[in-house]
Amino acid sequence: MVSASPRALSYQERIDLLRATKKRHTEEKWRVLGSIDMDDNGIILPPLETLRCVEVMGGSGVPMKDALFSTFTPKSNHPSGGIFGARACGENYRALLEMHPTYVDPVSSLAGCYMVNFLSYRTPQWNPDFDYPHLRPEQQLYGLHHGIGAVQHFCQDMTIGLSLGWEGLRRKILTFRSVNTDDEAQELYDGLEHFVLGMQNWIGRTAAAAREMAASEANPQLRENLLQIAAINDHLVHEPPRTFREACQWMLWYQLSGKMYNMGGSLGRIDQFLYPYYQRDKQLGTLEDEEAVFHIACHFLMDTSYTQLGGPDSLHEDTTNPLSYLVLEAAHRLKIPVNVGVCVGEHIDPQLLRRGVEIMFQDKTGIPKFLGVDRTSEGFARNGYPMTLARERAYSGCHWSALPGREYTVNDCVKINFARVFEVAFQEMMDDAHAQPSVSDLWNRFEKHLRRAAAVIGESLDFQIDHMYRVYPELHMDLLCHGPIERGRDASHGGVEYVNLCVDGSGLATTADSFAALEQRVEKEERFTWQQIAAFLKSDWEGPEGERARLLMHRIPRYGSGRSCADAYASRIASTFTTIIKEKPTPRGFNMIPGLFSWAANLAMGADVGATPNGRHAKERISHGPNPDPGFRKDAAPTALALAVAAVQPGYGNTAPMQIELDPGLSKGEEDIGNVAALIRTHFDLGGTQINMNILDKKTILEAHKDPSKYPDLVVRVTGFSAYFASLSPGIRQMVVDRILAGE
Amino acid sequence: MSKDLVFHIQRFSIHDGPGIRTTVFLKGCAMQCFWCHNPEGRHPYRELQYYASRCIACGECVRVCPSNAHELVQGVHTFLRDRCTTHGACVDVCCSGALEMNGREMSAEEVLDEILQDKPFYDNSGGGVTLSGGEPGLSAKFSKDILSRCKEEGVATAIETCGYCSAEALKTLIPVTDLFMMDLKLMTPERHAEATGNSNERILENARMLAGTDRPLIFRTPIVPSVNDLTEEFTGIVGFIHELMALRHAQGSTASITYELLAFHKLGSDKYLSLGMEYTASHIEPPTKEVMQNLLAIARDAGVAARIR
Ligand code: SF4
Repeated sequence: MVSASPRALSYQERIDLLRATKKRHTEEKWRVLGSIDMDDNGIILPPLETLRCVEVMGGSGVPMKDALFSTFTPKSNHPSGGIFGARACGENYRALLEMHPTYVDPVSSLAGCYMVNFLSYRTPQWNPDFDYPHLRPEQQLYGLHHGIGAVQHFCQDMTIGLSLGWEGLRRKILTFRSVNTDDEAQELYDGLEHFVLGMQNWIGRTAAAAREMAASEANPQLRENLLQIAAINDHLVHEPPRTFREACQWMLWYQLSGKMYNMGGSLGRIDQFLYPYYQRDKQLGTLEDEEAVFHIACHFLMDTSYTQLGGPDSLHEDTTNPLSYLVLEAAHRLKIPVNVGVCVGEHIDPQLLRRGVEIMFQDKTGIPKFLGVDRTSEGFARNGYPMTLARERAYSGCHWSALPGREYTVNDCVKINFARVFEVAFQEMMDDAHAQPSVSDLWNRFEKHLRRAAAVIGESLDFQIDHMYRVYPELHMDLLCHGPIERGRDASHGGVEYVNLCVDGSGLATTADSFAALEQRVEKEERFTWQQIAAFLKSDWEGPEGERARLLMHRIPRYGSGRSCADAYASRIASTFTTIIKEKPTPRGFNMIPGLFSWAANLAMGADVGATPNGRHAKERISHGPNPDPGFRKDAAPTALALAVAAVQPGYGNTAPMQIELDPGLSKGEEDIGNVAALIRTHFDLGGTQINMNILDKKTILEAHKDPSKYPDLVVRVTGFSAYFASLSPGIRQMVVDRILAGE
Repeated sequence: MSKDLVFHIQRFSIHDGPGIRTTVFLKGCAMQCFWCHNPEGRHPYRELQYYASRCIACGECVRVCPSNAHELVQGVHTFLRDRCTTHGACVDVCCSGALEMNGREMSAEEVLDEILQDKPFYDNSGGGVTLSGGEPGLSAKFSKDILSRCKEEGVATAIETCGYCSAEALKTLIPVTDLFMMDLKLMTPERHAEATGNSNERILENARMLAGTDRPLIFRTPIVPSVNDLTEEFTGIVGFIHELMALRHAQGSTASITYELLAFHKLGSDKYLSLGMEYTASHIEPPTKEVMQNLLAIARDAGVAARIR
């Protein structure tokens, strides 16, 4: 701890202390919970005396532990034991907020942190009254991530909260309560009001706690800081923020309340909505840049959400501003998992990209990521929206963007596993006594099943929109969206203006390489018969003959090698998928937008698929997002990768992010920064939409894989999200290692 | 259009000239530098590479080899290189990647086709194509065909030469080459001959000839401990470069002459094994950072625009 010392701590010293605290918290999490295959989120454990562990299903499909307060039990309103609907969710959430311990670190400029996931208290998650047996058989057949039960994954408009404050939000609820008097609206208002009252209680108690701590704090600098925290939070219980620091504190509370409610809270364009506060304080001479960096850093320590830096405004003017650089700087100073995306585009300040690459080389933490905003806005406009609107979509999640406060999306929650669809098609063909197996017959069946899978997704999404508000409404997001309060409708149920539902394809390389291997080895070279291949797949390439066949099927020019048969299949699969998703909306008429992304779920998706003709073993992970499989080329040329991923973009505004691992050996100086910046720009020129990059030393990663605890600070970009390497489960760690070793 | 043997095409090559480049490695070099990390570029003919550690002893190569160069005895595969006629059928059937053919005959158009794939990256980075080897000066016709097609397509060109080729060959390449990179390994002719198998007179001649042109020149020295990291050898090289700079200056030429130091490394050692060649640099360790920095300082003190690559 910090002792009373006459010398004031510098901001960097305070950051270092806070990082050390975070490290302690993180190590405690590892000890108690084990692996965490997702965003770090900044959550910390409840006090050990009130800690209770439960098993939940992790996002990557591996069960994981989660911590709850043993001292809090929600009140169910349903025979199943669940908590459903706005009123019950709001009431229970308020109760949780009102018992949640306060957290004030005298070193930080911001107070607050969260300790549990409310989601983990809610069992069952889905209300069994709204069953969907008519959808389930095909959801299971195709292994769909169908989106029923999906929460958050769209973006609020932070300016609503920053301008109204909690009391302003409450008054807004009261105002519209008398306008919309139907049951649905009244129930929603109940839930929202509980939410706000709970937050006001939590913030008020935090202010009191800070004041109490100040009374016994010996260090004058920290005492002063605690008194400031107390004053700021007293103010924020009711009033909107005035200063940059207050705005950061307000933003943190909002984020914490979303993280705890449903892991929600995407930051979006932080350098825009905080800019007026920054400018105001700078003009008054009350804020130095160093201090601004510190406040942002204090935020990131407690909330690692996704944020966009720079990018066009609706009229295509660049919005990059001094704060964009300061946010980047905060990420750079921290070297913890954060998710800062730097915009790259025709009109955008190229220095921001350059600075981003510099930090990427220096820190080797996979931060920042790069956003091809020109391509994503052009693509979004192709859904029939004006470019002015398209440019407002803000990067705010793993691989996704959304219109702040105006769009419901279920981004990253809906996935079709191409490899599984392929497997269904292959089985069907081989079981068909009348079929003459051929690659073209297989393709036709693949397309037919892909179309069917997409139709099931469409029906599932309609089901979600019809029912979710009565299961688990988006109380947190509703508060800061345009419409839910005004209309008395949850964002998932007509509360917002636009509905553009995300549908991602996964396992592109696995499937493209499988088609190509069959075409080359079975049809062109006639090395194997269809029946032999079917037998190999069934036995998972058993025995020496099986292994030989597997290696031969694997050793074809793969997707990514450039101008190969597999490259052609990858493009064909991607464009067929895009056509199918775009040929019609859901039965209820909601627009769907195709993307290619697997998140880290490609392990779970792979576990669902038997051996595939590309030489993949049964249950092995499927390929990652739109990426070629590691080892796609002997030289692993980044340009070949960039060309391949640019060629499979669906092009409707949702991304197919390129995951790229670069060798630290190439970072020898200024020129190399320029070359990597050129690589990034060219990928976007060619149609690419997003880049997740790691620059990692092979030796370090191998050693860390052997004994992760020796590298507690090692941060990697797993996929859209970044994480401590040591937090990850062995399967995900292996995936990262394989990618990095692929150039060997 | 001419055809010749290419042993590797490296895309996103960023340390062989400015920007993002594609480096085309041509087969055949008349030098035998004992530290060479591209031994597969030495011979001007195809060679089978055999990686024993990858072999799964399936015996398929034994079945298809017309010259009995593969044997499988009691589950152990042996490759008898002296019988190999590089027929290549074994490479096709080898599922494990244990067998690879080093050297592929390609037409200049085929090479161009690969080069052009990355054109947008060259354009955004100020990059282009680099011909390397082996020694491109020994495949002058092929090199010229590739480079002139590149120029037609608007791709910037560079050549990386060891300098040990005829001046005539290099001269034919000047009109189609935007940048020359040339190795200078040692100044003392006898020591040069000892380390590389050839004396350096012809190389220095070629260096002078290129310095007389208007093309930018980058000289490069692979720093090999106990070979050329000794101050007197190294200052000799730096002095020579300085002399050429003065020559250009006297001619009123503004074309640049710069210098790059490359640290010797051992990454090529398993390639020697795969080619049935003896690795001749196992006794040498890479130079330390300090040595590299000291040499860099010497070069810079002498007024040479140098950097470590
Ligand atoms: S074909 Fe390849 S794997 Fe099989 S024995 Fe020959 S070298 Fe070994």
